[in-house]
Amino acid sequence: MMSDYVLDIKNLIKDFPGVRAVNDVSFGIKRNTVHCLVGENGAGKSTLIKILTGAYMRTSGTVLLSGKEYVAHNTKDAKQKGVSTLFQELNVVDQLTVEENLTLGSEDTFMGFLKKTDKIKKMISVLNSLEPSINPKQLVSRLSVAKKQIVEIARAVATESDIIIMDEPTAAISECEIERLFEIIRSLREKNVTVIYISHRLDEIFEIGDYVTVMRDGKHIDTKPISEVKDRSELIKMMIGKTIFESYVPREMQDEQVLLEVKNVTTDKLNNISFFVKRGEIVGFYGLVGAGKTELARAVFGADPYSGEITFKGKRLYGTPDKAIKAGIALVPEERRSQGLFTVLTIRNNIPVMNMKKISKGGFINSAKEIKVSADFINKLRIATNTMEKQASKLSGGNQQKVVFAKCLFADADLLILDEPTRGIDVGAKSEIYNIIRQLSKEGKSIMIFSSELPEIVNICDRMFILYDGVVKTEIKNGSSIDSEEIIHIATGGEIIC
Amino acid sequence: MLNPTGPGESTGRVSTRGKMSNESFITLSMMGVFLGLFAIACILVPNFYRGQNIVNLVTNYWFVIMLGIGVTFLLITGNFDMSVGGIVAMTGVLSVYFCQAANVSQSELANGLGLPYGVAIALALVAALLIGAINAFFVTKLKVASIIVTLGTMSISRGIAQIVTQGAQRNTSLPDIFSKIGNITVVSSIKLAVIIMVVFVIAAVVIEKRTVFGRRTYLIGANKEASRLSGVKVGQHVTILYLTSALLAGITGILLASEYISGTSNRVMGSEFDALVIVLLGGTSIAGGFGSVAGTVIGAIILAVVTSSATGMLLRPEWQFILKGAVTFLAIMAQRFALDRRKL
Repeated sequence: MMSDYVLDIKNLIKDFPGVRAVNDVSFGIKRNTVHCLVGENGAGKSTLIKILTGAYMRTSGTVLLSGKEYVAHNTKDAKQKGVSTLFQELNVVDQLTVEENLTLGSEDTFMGFLKKTDKIKKMISVLNSLEPSINPKQLVSRLSVAKKQIVEIARAVATESDIIIMDEPTAAISECEIERLFEIIRSLREKNVTVIYISHRLDEIFEIGDYVTVMRDGKHIDTKPISEVKDRSELIKMMIGKTIFESYVPREMQDEQVLLEVKNVTTDKLNNISFFVKRGEIVGFYGLVGAGKTELARAVFGADPYSGEITFKGKRLYGTPDKAIKAGIALVPEERRSQGLFTVLTIRNNIPVMNMKKISKGGFINSAKEIKVSADFINKLRIATNTMEKQASKLSGGNQQKVVFAKCLFADADLLILDEPTRGIDVGAKSEIYNIIRQLSKEGKSIMIFSSELPEIVNICDRMFILYDGVVKTEIKNGSSIDSEEIIHIATGGEIIC
Repeated sequence: MLNPTGPGESTGRVSTRGKMSNESFITLSMMGVFLGLFAIACILVPNFYRGQNIVNLVTNYWFVIMLGIGVTFLLITGNFDMSVGGIVAMTGVLSVYFCQAANVSQSELANGLGLPYGVAIALALVAALLIGAINAFFVTKLKVASIIVTLGTMSISRGIAQIVTQGAQRNTSLPDIFSKIGNITVVSSIKLAVIIMVVFVIAAVVIEKRTVFGRRTYLIGANKEASRLSGVKVGQHVTILYLTSALLAGITGILLASEYISGTSNRVMGSEFDALVIVLLGGTSIAGGFGSVAGTVIGAIILAVVTSSATGMLLRPEWQFILKGAVTFLAIMAQRFALDRRKL
């Protein structure tokens, strides 16, 4: 029985400071199957995969690959041991030919010169069997994303990988390419390859999967054959569990004044998006990775170009961030380290940057004011540090995010745009950030939250929009009748049932 | 530091006192390197310790420090400016050409445009600003790497100087006033140019540490995208810095042309590299977001000590390049070592 399992995970644990990302997970993956891994953002899927590919070291637990203890130190090591990965960012070199890509890193050489060997012939024959239309002499830059994926799959198959992990392989390819990919995945079973398939699109799970494993909050919920899963809604139930969104208290909007109006905003990722935000309102935008949340947040803030019309306080906004800030909008960006924080500068120098006018006179900085402002925010947001002269890079993720928040709060904005405001921070800091958001809305500020975590949206937002593939699918008023299963159904590409 | 000594009631439990900033730390350690080198030089070179010698150390390097000011600010934003040396030569030559008398000689190099001195230097500065504008345009609008752009304008400006002087120099038919500004001395025979340099250094230190403009310079270097999303007009800011850097180089060129009463196409050849070296010796990071003009001044003094003590030791001049290189490596390794050992 045991030999049936190509991969056997036992009591796997991975701790990060303040959070247990993978919590005592055990399950087996049967040889030559397509095994799907599903769960919400933050469920622990990525961490689990990163342990398998060698990006993270586990805290404890064992993993057996074909019955033998398996530890990978990096992706190359994992590959040599038989676990290849098809990452979302493809691992091909555009400037080289298909053939050169296939042997990249494992070329046979004679005194430094490349040799044509059987290895190349084998690689090419595998590629041929998967997709005859790809010419090995072609430059990879001329291939579509789907074909680049196939090149990577061919490389993995030819190097005799036992397992290929596919992380959201359909995120960037078209419908008919998806069909072709699925045919290839099915053919891999005959080639003695097991596929671990990760996708947010639940329909794909039913189409391609043999088994499915559901994870939630770092824990393993269940593993069973797809044939035993009744429908999407059963899967969704397992994914979200008995989450009760009791912390949201429906409120009556006192102020009916419209603060922001967005009309027909379109970019290469967004399609004709229209909505409005009232004063004091908390509006959520829920969608999975790639649904267009960040693009929308950045368009409203003027960080990226768009077509369409955005009116703020009755005036047309012409997008650049400095104008948006002057008008009264502040953005907490998605990537705090690369877009929000000045990591090499001190906390004190980070906090006032969006509103230097308030701490300066005639262009000269008033240090006393700067110190007071920073100290006030450090106290108010409870940023854990002993001195404001600490470099921002030396803070934990949650405290860094609080510094970014402080920066935006100091801008005195009437509209705060929060893109994934609690990503990668621990539970305690999360609830503190929610409190800050509620407090702000009580003070009459409007808030837009873009998040791929449903509980976050449902907990604090008065209204929410569901985004899928760059389109607003539906608008929901928060209240007792919230149906989280329905929301996930829509956000994963399901039809709206009325 | 102007920090209040106590946290006061408004600051609650949060201390404002960290260790000193990394910039001050590096500036101080470079000060230490300088004192060390100076001590060695005093032992090896007779009379090196004399007051006049120390003054000479700084005054002979005034033009490199002038160029270093603009280069420091730009490097803090993460951008290079290699055009400054070329601009010095170009503005010097142009200031001569513009105010040489017109049609007075058979020799082409003795004839200029015959403009009044004031107009001549104003036009020469406009030319310098044009080079700065080209730098800014390519770097901020077309997003070309600054090192490539400014190496290009380095050649172009030096090339203009070459064309106008036919590869040599212009030094005849100049009005008397031309030689004044570069040769005036104030208190105990210090050149006016040195005073101007000191004024610019003080202004630069104040701007860098005390103003919003200075702060934004650091923000851009620390994180360009975060600066943009925080409302900093990055393109505009970098443009101002390139124009200022070119203007400082232009002023330097005019002062040097006046001092030597000539416009020479190969004036301060290689000084763009010296300027970069003193900026790096002063602790400014190529990665951006870190550095100071005060550090740059100390970097210049270190370089001056090394070259002048080498001369004092009768080391043949052709060896000086190697020596400069060795000191640069040592100083930069010392900085890395010190910063890595430093825990915050």
